[in-house]
Amino acid sequence: MFGPLGPTLAPYINSSRSLQKWVKPIATWYANSMGYRKYGFKYDDLLIEERDDVQRALARLTPAEQYDRGFRIKRASQASVMHAPLPKESWTPESEDTRYLATHVQSVEAEDNERKMWDTMHVTRK
Amino acid sequence: MLATRTSSSAVRIARRSFASVSESAAGFKVAAVDNNQPTSAVTLLFKAGSRYETKPGVASALKNFAFKSTAKRSALGTVREAELYGGQLSATLTREHLALTAEFLRGDEEFFVDVLTSFATSGKFTRHEFEEYVEPTVKGDAEAAQSNPAIQAVDLAHALAFRNGLGSSLFAPSSSHITHEDVKAYAATAFAKGNVAVLGSGISQETLTKLVEKSFGSSSTTGSAPQTKNSSYFGGETRLDGHGGLQTVFIGFGVAGAPSGDLAVLNAHLSTTPSIKWSKGLSPIAASIPAGASVQTVYLPYSDASLFGFLVQAETAEGVTQAGQAAIKALKEATSGKGIAEEALKSAVAKAKFTAANAVEGREGLFTTLGGKVLQGQDANASSVTAAFDGVNASSFAKAASELVKTKPTFVAIGNTSALPYSDELGL
Repeated sequence: MFGPLGPTLAPYINSSRSLQKWVKPIATWYANSMGYRKYGFKYDDLLIEERDDVQRALARLTPAEQYDRGFRIKRASQASVMHAPLPKESWTPESEDTRYLATHVQSVEAEDNERKMWDTMHVTRK
Repeated sequence: MLATRTSSSAVRIARRSFASVSESAAGFKVAAVDNNQPTSAVTLLFKAGSRYETKPGVASALKNFAFKSTAKRSALGTVREAELYGGQLSATLTREHLALTAEFLRGDEEFFVDVLTSFATSGKFTRHEFEEYVEPTVKGDAEAAQSNPAIQAVDLAHALAFRNGLGSSLFAPSSSHITHEDVKAYAATAFAKGNVAVLGSGISQETLTKLVEKSFGSSSTTGSAPQTKNSSYFGGETRLDGHGGLQTVFIGFGVAGAPSGDLAVLNAHLSTTPSIKWSKGLSPIAASIPAGASVQTVYLPYSDASLFGFLVQAETAEGVTQAGQAAIKALKEATSGKGIAEEALKSAVAKAKFTAANAVEGREGLFTTLGGKVLQGQDANASSVTAAFDGVNASSFAKAASELVKTKPTFVAIGNTSALPYSDELGL
């Protein structure tokens, strides 16, 4: 039912300034307490990648983005083996926790939906 | 019945040509011819062939980028919608022009003109489309050309004959590092306003002009058109090891300047293509070609230069040598002081005239032959094609032919380079 990105209320919350003012601190606190930033990850690194659409989106990253992603995953695996988070200077700051993959996933999803639409359409002649 | 038929065919003949090129209010050159056929075709012709390219292979990449996603519809949407209408979309690249063509049933022109123009005005040129769809086809084009020694020989011959400009290959080199940004930048210049001619067949001039203005009018493609310097002819020799395929030799001569009818006549005189199937034809070369070898004449006129030559192919290098010697001997005879017999010249002129006139009968030939003239703002009348041969006589022919063979030959050998002949061994 939902794509690889899951359901989100973010567009609705962002559209209202007062709502955003109330929810933003809670969201920031929640993202920090999830702990992935302590392992040097960005949020999009946690996206389930064992899907065709996400694989296609991953192929659309620039070579630099692909390299950085691989580096973050390796570094976090090593930290996991050591049973300790990374030193504090290696944590992902909030400013760098960008959705670098989400736009690609969305465009792949839109393409898949469009293909489904063309595959199942009924043509009526004028 | 007979009377009506003749009168209607007379009307059709009168209308068959791009007699008038209208410059639309927005500054587009629009030319259309309507023969009342059930299908229509519209071509956007850009002066953006490989001779204008800024980086090797970028023209080929732009050709393969055609009909990918635009601001109006995605690549998939373009294909599916065109299929629903039953039309065909194609892109063709020559050394001088890039042509985007849509062929469709009469009445669907609004959609197809919009498909063509929306690519020219709002193509997205995304990186992922370039990597997923365009790069593989660019490579495929280049590999297909590489595996055909005839195509490879003519391509190399252009590089030797004209070096830059006309010499740049139609195919991307294997070492090219083109990015989607390069293609986008090239497209911005190629799709500039003064650089396009809109050609229609099976569609009236007014309808086409109206549609083009509607969809092009609001566009902001105001970049400057790509530039190239005038061609000059150099010539040279190269030998390339071939893998499989026939042993191939190309021997050519070129001249700079607008193409004249004389070289087309020389081509018709020497051409080994018989007028009747299974016969040998009247060509002076045909009789002395050994079995298993073939000699094709190649005459390629461009806007400011032309290349004439022989493509000699055989299973063995000896066959190539013998056939090549026969071809050069015939060329020397035709271009020597006394020229060719009057009767032979007359039949060659007739053959050349027919070939040229026959080419503009078809839709493709009409667009390729007259499209360039429309783009240059010249008289694009079908009768102008045959008019070029009216001035051909024995003296002009002898002069053009002897000037042609005075130039340094372009010689390309592909195949077993240790056995294939050198140009002096063929009698040059």
